[in-house]
Amino acid sequence: MRSETMTATKKISLTINGKICAGEPGQTILEIARANDINIPTLCYLKGLTPWGGCRLCIVEIEGSPKVVPSCTTPAVDGSKIITDSPRLQGLRKATLELLFSERNHFCPMCQYNKGDCGLQHQGYLHGINNVRYQYLYPAMPVDLTAKYFGIDHNRCILCGRCVRTCDEIEGVHTLDVAYRGIRNRIVVDMLKKFSESETCTSCGACVANCPTGAFFDKAAAFRGPLASCQQVLTTCTECPLGCGLKVFIKENRIVNVWGDPDSPVNRGHLCVKGRYETWAEPRERITQPLLRGKDGKLKPATWDNAIVAIRKAAKAAKKSEKALLVAPRVTNETAQTITKFTGKVDRLGMYVTANEAALCHDPSFSADAMRKLEDADAIIIIGAQPSHDNGVVAARIRTTVRKREAKLLIFHARKSDLDQYATIGAHEVSLDHQFWEQVAAALEGAQRPAIVYGANAMTPIGVTVLERLIKIFEGHPGRQAPALIGLPVGTNSLALAAAGIEAIEDVGPWLDVKPLKFLHIVASDAPDGGDGMLEEKYVPGLLDEIPCVVVQAGYRSALTDKAAVVLPATIWCEKSGTITNLEGRRLFLRPVLPVSGEAREDAAILESVFA
Amino acid sequence: MNKTTRKTTTKKTTRPPASQPAAVPAAPAKVRVATMWLSGCSGCHMSFLDLDERLVDLAKLIDILFSPIVDTKVKDMPQVDVGIVEGCVNNTDQEHELKMLRDRCKILIALGDCACTGNMPALRNQFPLKDCLARAYEQAESNRISCIPNDPVVPKLYPKARPLQEVVKVDLHIPGCPPDADVIWYALTELLAGRTPQWNEKNLRYD
Repeated sequence: MRSETMTATKKISLTINGKICAGEPGQTILEIARANDINIPTLCYLKGLTPWGGCRLCIVEIEGSPKVVPSCTTPAVDGSKIITDSPRLQGLRKATLELLFSERNHFCPMCQYNKGDCGLQHQGYLHGINNVRYQYLYPAMPVDLTAKYFGIDHNRCILCGRCVRTCDEIEGVHTLDVAYRGIRNRIVVDMLKKFSESETCTSCGACVANCPTGAFFDKAAAFRGPLASCQQVLTTCTECPLGCGLKVFIKENRIVNVWGDPDSPVNRGHLCVKGRYETWAEPRERITQPLLRGKDGKLKPATWDNAIVAIRKAAKAAKKSEKALLVAPRVTNETAQTITKFTGKVDRLGMYVTANEAALCHDPSFSADAMRKLEDADAIIIIGAQPSHDNGVVAARIRTTVRKREAKLLIFHARKSDLDQYATIGAHEVSLDHQFWEQVAAALEGAQRPAIVYGANAMTPIGVTVLERLIKIFEGHPGRQAPALIGLPVGTNSLALAAAGIEAIEDVGPWLDVKPLKFLHIVASDAPDGGDGMLEEKYVPGLLDEIPCVVVQAGYRSALTDKAAVVLPATIWCEKSGTITNLEGRRLFLRPVLPVSGEAREDAAILESVFA
Repeated sequence: MNKTTRKTTTKKTTRPPASQPAAVPAAPAKVRVATMWLSGCSGCHMSFLDLDERLVDLAKLIDILFSPIVDTKVKDMPQVDVGIVEGCVNNTDQEHELKMLRDRCKILIALGDCACTGNMPALRNQFPLKDCLARAYEQAESNRISCIPNDPVVPKLYPKARPLQEVVKVDLHIPGCPPDADVIWYALTELLAGRTPQWNEKNLRYD
């Protein structure tokens, strides 16, 4: 970004295939050609990654030079004349492809990859390769299926290095690398480990999405037909408050694969394990019809009408002061509007949040452009948050900023994470020692664009002390840019719900216990744990048992639904429509990907039928 | 399952044109063809039969003199113009047959992925032959008697399955597993018209 401003005044022009093309100095021949709608075949090149020049498909001729050069790594020179297609280039490209085909098992009929999406196959077709003139080598290569969601078949690998660069430059963990030489050359995980033994792999699956062949494949998507034949739906991930854009591939009302939306300003195509796999590749028990607790104390399937009649009867039996509504912090903004309509019908309305999150929601502030600020920062300070566990895409952005742009990283959090290894100061125990804070001040010396990422645990007395001290350090240097404050809530939509006037409750026990309740309606929505986190609180299970009628509307079965008198089936992420507001304050759309399963209904519709 | 049902039904319908050359002496203008089935699944021959009504047109132009799918059994392979081979070379007998066909035909066509690349039979190439035989004849769960066939009549397996071009000179490759009937039709009609088939993204399929 900085180089753009430096060179905006100068432009270069070159002739590609007789067409005059303009570009910026420093751009490669391939970049300028593609910007001018001239296609040059590539395999190892991927926009957004460092050019590698490994596959040699993008070779071009430069007039006056006897050599052919790879266009992805060769900077364009002003006034040069370039030819991207000639019999000589065609012959060389064909030979290159045939060499790739001849080395390992690139036989398409039994490929686990979705036929029709393969970059190597596509290039083979484009170059009219109907046979390989070289002898096939059939080296014996291992297959690693130990990762939970994906596998790697080295027999399909063409060593383009896209996965290695993705792992290093996008996720920032550098789990993958290349080892051995010659025909034994292959991709390795954590220096010759298996995926299951890997300590650095975050299972983000970006390597799978960026692999041009069937070497990396998603277990749940293997042999499920080409993605090219699937319908694509763009929606938003609701697993954390980041709201990454999802591109969901569906066929015959089934999800075939989930990729990041490259056009999303939040994640730019990258996803973490939660968004890419856990939402669909993980078996979870869905609730598809209303359940009513019978006289024998067991939950039995019921019709919607019977369930609503039972709920209304119980609600009528309770006074207004004995009724309460508890919401998961992940319902849509539209559901929140419906909920606030019914404030007058219940005594208490709240959303259950994790410990210390209520303070974040107390005065909800969105951090506009947080992801861009993180990328531009030259010092990142994490307080009371664990992004590598909770917000994988934020962690990836922090890692790349620290590793590639040499930003400083300071961590003030009790729990250890993989980010600690990049930290200048990783304080798991915060000290008030004068010397320690001098060290912190020294580490931040010269930081021009600091960013402070604070999570729920920054709202503890210790966290607040850290924040105060840091602000003192920054204030000590007038003229320096004020740090960008990026709040990382835990609940997907907790900030927007708090802004809509729903009170955040972090101690559900006391909240339930203020006045005895006779009717409690819990909107667990599609929380993967079904909201059973609140049952871990000491007195809550007992208090719930005392309430005569607990209604839970949830997408998945959990310990909480097992405690309810009535369970109502709610839609899950891929069936919902509406909007959520992410931590940057962007309103992001959820689009229904699949038809609603069973008798499930949208959260708002269920609330309407219960309370209206 | 689909293939076996197709096999029985199409065989019946195509029997008359296939057996025609035996009944009527071949006119000299017709192109003489032999087809051969080496290590493959017969899917490429089935795909050839998928030409359906086009087989009638083809029969006006070619005579199939030697093939696993014709009824007349010829002891000795005749001299032909075109040899079409499905499957790859796995054992001594197949190599002998392929070399004989190469000697007796003018144009040799490798039909399908097995003939072009080795494909499925070549999956064993990663492993030592001893292990492959042991897995198939000694360790296979369905085996009642575990014994690797050693009768001198049984052709010897080569350590590696090879595509045709590693054994003999091949004049045309038609990839596909199996090649689509349309692709076979395109390649054959181009050859009959005296042209070389041109391959591009529209007619190429590797799967």
